[in-house]
Amino acid sequence: MIQLTIDGKKVSVEPGQTVLDAAREGNIPIPTLCSHESLIPYGACRLCIVEVRHRNKTRLLASCTLPAAEGMEVTTNSEKVIRTRRMLAELLLARCPESKAIRNIAAQLGVEKTRFGKPHLKDNSAIVGTDGCILCGMCVRVCNDILKIGALGFEGRGASRRVVTPFEKPSEVCLSCGACSFVCPTGAIEHHRIRLHKPEPIPAEFEYGMVNRKPINIPFPQAVPRVPVIDPDTCMNFRTGGCKICEDNCGVHAIDHAQQEKIEQVEVGAIIVATGFELFDSRKLGRYGYGKLDNVLHALEFERMSHASGPTGGKILTKNGQPPKAVAILHCIGSRDENTNEYCSRVCCMYSLKFAHLVKEKTNAEVYNLYIDMRAFGKGYEEFYKRILGEGVHFIRGKCAEVTSAARTPEEKGKLIVVAEDTLLGMTRRLPVDMVILSAGLIPGKDSDKLGRILGISCSQGGFFLEKHPKLAPVDAINDGIFFAGACQGPKDIPDAVAQGAAAAAGALSLIDKGKVVLEPITAEIDEKRCAGCQLCVANCPYGAIEYNKEKKISIVTEELCKGCGTCVAGCPSGAARQKNFEDVQILAEIEGILTAS
Amino acid sequence: MIRLADCGAVGRLCAELNRDKPKIEILVSRGTCGTSRGADRLVEAVQTALNKAGTNGNVRLRVTGCLGYCDIEPIVIVRPAGFFYPQPKPDDAAEIVQQGLLGKSVPRLFMEDPNTGKPIETVSDVPFYKHQNRVIFGANFDLDPTSIDDFVRIGGYQALAKVLSEMTPEKVIDEVTRSGLRGRGGAGFPTGVKWASCRKAKGQLKYVVCNADEGDPGAYANRGLLEGNPHSVIEGMAIGAWAVGASQGYVYVRTEYPLAVELMSRAVQEARAAGLLGKNILGSGFAFDIHINRGGGAFVCGESTALMASIEGHVGEPRAKHIHTVESGLWQAPTTLNNVETWANIPHIINRGAQWFTQIGTGDVTGNPWGGSKGTKIFSLVGKVNHTGLVEVPMGITLRKVIFDIGGGIKNGKKFKGVQTGGPSGGVLSEKHLDLPIDYDELVEAGSMMGSGGMIVMDEDNCMVDFARFFLSFLEDESCGKCTPCREGVVQMRQILTDICQGKAKEGDIELLHDLAEVVSESSLCQLGATAPNPVLTTLAYFKDEYDAHVRDHKCPAGVCKALTTYRIDWEACTGCGVCFKNCPSDAIRGEKKQPHEIQVDRCTKCGVCYDSCKFNAVRRN
Amino acid sequence: MVDQQFEPKIVGFLCRWCSYTGADLAGTSRMQYPPNLAAIRVMCSGRVDPTFVVKALQDGADGVLIAGCHPGDCHYSEGNYKAMRRYPMLLNLLDQFGIDRRRVRLEWISASEGEMFARVVSEFTQQLKTLGPLRWPHTIEQFCSPA
Repeated sequence: MIQLTIDGKKVSVEPGQTVLDAAREGNIPIPTLCSHESLIPYGACRLCIVEVRHRNKTRLLASCTLPAAEGMEVTTNSEKVIRTRRMLAELLLARCPESKAIRNIAAQLGVEKTRFGKPHLKDNSAIVGTDGCILCGMCVRVCNDILKIGALGFEGRGASRRVVTPFEKPSEVCLSCGACSFVCPTGAIEHHRIRLHKPEPIPAEFEYGMVNRKPINIPFPQAVPRVPVIDPDTCMNFRTGGCKICEDNCGVHAIDHAQQEKIEQVEVGAIIVATGFELFDSRKLGRYGYGKLDNVLHALEFERMSHASGPTGGKILTKNGQPPKAVAILHCIGSRDENTNEYCSRVCCMYSLKFAHLVKEKTNAEVYNLYIDMRAFGKGYEEFYKRILGEGVHFIRGKCAEVTSAARTPEEKGKLIVVAEDTLLGMTRRLPVDMVILSAGLIPGKDSDKLGRILGISCSQGGFFLEKHPKLAPVDAINDGIFFAGACQGPKDIPDAVAQGAAAAAGALSLIDKGKVVLEPITAEIDEKRCAGCQLCVANCPYGAIEYNKEKKISIVTEELCKGCGTCVAGCPSGAARQKNFEDVQILAEIEGILTAS
Repeated sequence: MIRLADCGAVGRLCAELNRDKPKIEILVSRGTCGTSRGADRLVEAVQTALNKAGTNGNVRLRVTGCLGYCDIEPIVIVRPAGFFYPQPKPDDAAEIVQQGLLGKSVPRLFMEDPNTGKPIETVSDVPFYKHQNRVIFGANFDLDPTSIDDFVRIGGYQALAKVLSEMTPEKVIDEVTRSGLRGRGGAGFPTGVKWASCRKAKGQLKYVVCNADEGDPGAYANRGLLEGNPHSVIEGMAIGAWAVGASQGYVYVRTEYPLAVELMSRAVQEARAAGLLGKNILGSGFAFDIHINRGGGAFVCGESTALMASIEGHVGEPRAKHIHTVESGLWQAPTTLNNVETWANIPHIINRGAQWFTQIGTGDVTGNPWGGSKGTKIFSLVGKVNHTGLVEVPMGITLRKVIFDIGGGIKNGKKFKGVQTGGPSGGVLSEKHLDLPIDYDELVEAGSMMGSGGMIVMDEDNCMVDFARFFLSFLEDESCGKCTPCREGVVQMRQILTDICQGKAKEGDIELLHDLAEVVSESSLCQLGATAPNPVLTTLAYFKDEYDAHVRDHKCPAGVCKALTTYRIDWEACTGCGVCFKNCPSDAIRGEKKQPHEIQVDRCTKCGVCYDSCKFNAVRRN
Repeated sequence: MVDQQFEPKIVGFLCRWCSYTGADLAGTSRMQYPPNLAAIRVMCSGRVDPTFVVKALQDGADGVLIAGCHPGDCHYSEGNYKAMRRYPMLLNLLDQFGIDRRRVRLEWISASEGEMFARVVSEFTQQLKTLGPLRWPHTIEQFCSPA
């Protein structure tokens, strides 16, 4: 540690730190304009000047570039220092009289007015680029040194110096990251002059793009562990190798950009597959206008909107920020439909009722539920349905034909028109509403077949994982030791998913509790006497469970590795390979039995 | 040139080259200034004359670099007698050669002593040279800069051979330290101390750099050296590299010196071919090579950190120097940077010893390298003196001697007013400093500096405010613009000075100017900014009355600031000779012959031609 | 001409993981398909020794169905590929015996494809009806008896 004295106060800092660092450590204020914790000290604005005693003489030095040295005596508030800083503030004020940031910092130094006129070039022409830019170079340095992009640079010398892009054309290389304006002390960055490409907002995935997020974020409110993550697709460090400003900002040095994703191998005795579901993509049904018409939301979007931690803070609002006066909820989007999914997604009717209730409660809008059949089959569900009926929600039996914005009457103007056949009334209805909620169905995860292949489990017709037996083993996979929990096995609501999860856990626990697994005794073996040592079985075995014994000149099955497929048995020319319980004689007898019986 | 395989080979070659010297030598100087005055044609004419005369190896024509006497370049000298012909015409060449071969002179071409009116026959009698002490510049007479043989013949590269064969790096550094040599670039940092720090600094790779980015207006001593004696710089750099442990050298020379670039590049190639640069120098195993780097002409690139940034390929911008370049310079490697003149001094110190060097100059450097200023210094003496040129004088000489004895006094018998030393950011010294001994510390004490050795002499016709304005306006262009005080302060100072010159200044402007100058000086990032206010501060200190006259009385005593000057013709004194009428470029003068003339104020551009041309002092200025 | 009276006998070698489960699914789903197929469960289609097929045909079967997991989905990684390669050889053998190739089928039926299982069996039964009875044992006896 280095000890130095600043304004009579003893401060100690690590070697390599500057006097400015030391002053901040000791809570001694020093004004700066060109200093930033992430940037290499530059020493351009000179406002941080301090008086340093050196060999019986004092000198004025910029504290941001001055390394702290043992026994250094620094004064930050002497008359000379203050006089110098005020003069510098006057110079900056003369350059940028309109800049609020400069006026503020000058005021802090006690300078209200400058004695200097606006600087001009020698031929009396105005200096370009003085509208707020004080040439501290923060933008240039952050773009070059930190983000390693290099879209900005200095042009010219002396008073004509300017911050520009190459050839003053909007830059091709600018990634529109905004770091330049982030560090600019005077807010003088003019983005449209710098960037060629418009910045692309990063939509918050969890909020379905209704709001934007930063490259570093907490993915969703209930995330466990509740810590921020860095999105490598948008983080500047992963794009340019630079930045890492967050590392400098993190007080406990918890950020590590070098961290790599790892593949961990874990040996387990049981696997519970709980990979969930995905929501049906409503874009596939273009007639409902999702993705084309404003205020057509799918179920999860509405769920986020109505949630207190959501983008609107729980308020139900249309795009123009107003609560809707009429809302239509369309059931069976991507469910019970021969063109998409034939199965019933089970949960939509009930959540649609919940939505109807929420809309009614929060906005008192007219709510129309367009359903095919009401499926309120669970405990207390029918009662809830009744209650919603009592709340004045309209139920129209009939599937929606289309959602359009093409108005036919003045009342329909500016509204979304839901067209449907009311099968109870036997007539077509046009409902002008402000918001349409699509109660989309549940579909299997898009990579569930990939996972199925890895685990050796199959999928049933809809693509959900197939259980061992629909009635007797609804939680087990066909393979021993693999269990299902939740919607990966089929659409189900929360109570069902919880129940299945508990069952799966119990199934896994029973295996763990036993401590051992009983394998089916169907492994292969090779009759030593009959084996001719041709090694066909060695090539046939997918598990490498058969080895050729050079001494005995025969092949031998390693029983622990053998899974019992019997491929070697079928391929053995001498009949030496045998599969326990599936012996050739057994199968042949079976064939005989079948054929003689009939 | 053969390859020199060992250290002894240098001495053997020197002896061999001296064995058969031509009897007669004809010198023609062809530096940049000589070339611009037709040296090429002169050389050609001398060569033709020699061819005609048919000399059988007894005569040699030597085309030298700059001989420093800029006023009268190109110069022809005929040796051994040393007949000195200033600026002869190519037509005179035949006669000079003819007479020269007979050992005779051509008296009609001699220069005339301005004081006695007698002809000056030989070079040793020329007053401009007589009062100088040409330690490092003198060799220019004996050298064809394109010939390494010439350099070896006069004892060149023997210092390098001595160092490599007899001396340890520590001993070399000790010798340089004891000599009291201080950086000739202007700041005067003791060279030996710098080298010792660089030697101590950790680093596999080290660099030496020769700063030949001579950007000061009116200074060209480095150019004279590079064009006249490039090998002395190479030898000095090689010795320095050996001492600090560097293996690579850079010469950063401005592109505005094309001849220097050409000659220096050629000299490096020759030295390489001779085994004096490259992998195994003189068979000692020491490896060192030099790369010539051309600068783009930014004044600030003469600052060491900006220069290094420029070599690295970055924009030439200085950085804070709390970490010295001897520890982390070029590409973060320890780097020793010295001026051309400093490097050229090194071989002499090695050859003749520190003891000899300390005999020249001021102060006592025993035990304290800052204790004095030793050796000689080259100044570019320009301005209102009779003889301008490059002047090498011992440290401690007075300004009076330089200006009046060597420079021959002020032109046209006018009155001396001031002298600016050290380039644009140096200061102006007044008459009372004429007996000031020139050394680093005295100049700084007086508010100026040594700088790169510019010396601009001013007479009574120079306005000091305008002079300060001129230099500030130069510095405004050359400020890199990185730090606030230099970028904004210099512009503001120039604006205030312009206001003063135009008579628009307010009361208090002089005080504001003074305060601003002090702040800029104290708070700038690099020395360019720190010294930029020197012209203002020194003129304010020594010529305050001129400022006051401008602001309070709205008058420019020297008549330079046009807005504050008016001309009129005194009818009493005017004889109507019509000289002013003829000379006036803007037809502003009217009058009948033999009748008093009159100046039309609306047409007058205040050029002052009438004032200068009137023989009867009838034109009045105020 | 289809002999509607003739009910072919089919032996099915079904992989335990996919096709057998698929057949199960067809059953639990109450799917209708002809009862002509008698299933033999094997651990893998790769276990099906060509001699089993010949044996079945010899013992009076009119057709044989070998069914396994879809390529890439084999429970034992590559057992079904082995079956896939053995099948053409088996067909060559059938040609030599003078048996129509269409009497032995290799099909990929996954556990979820109960409907496909039912369809395959229906189709195969229909096809065998068209081909008529094989009556191989008698044919062989005729060949072998020293008339």
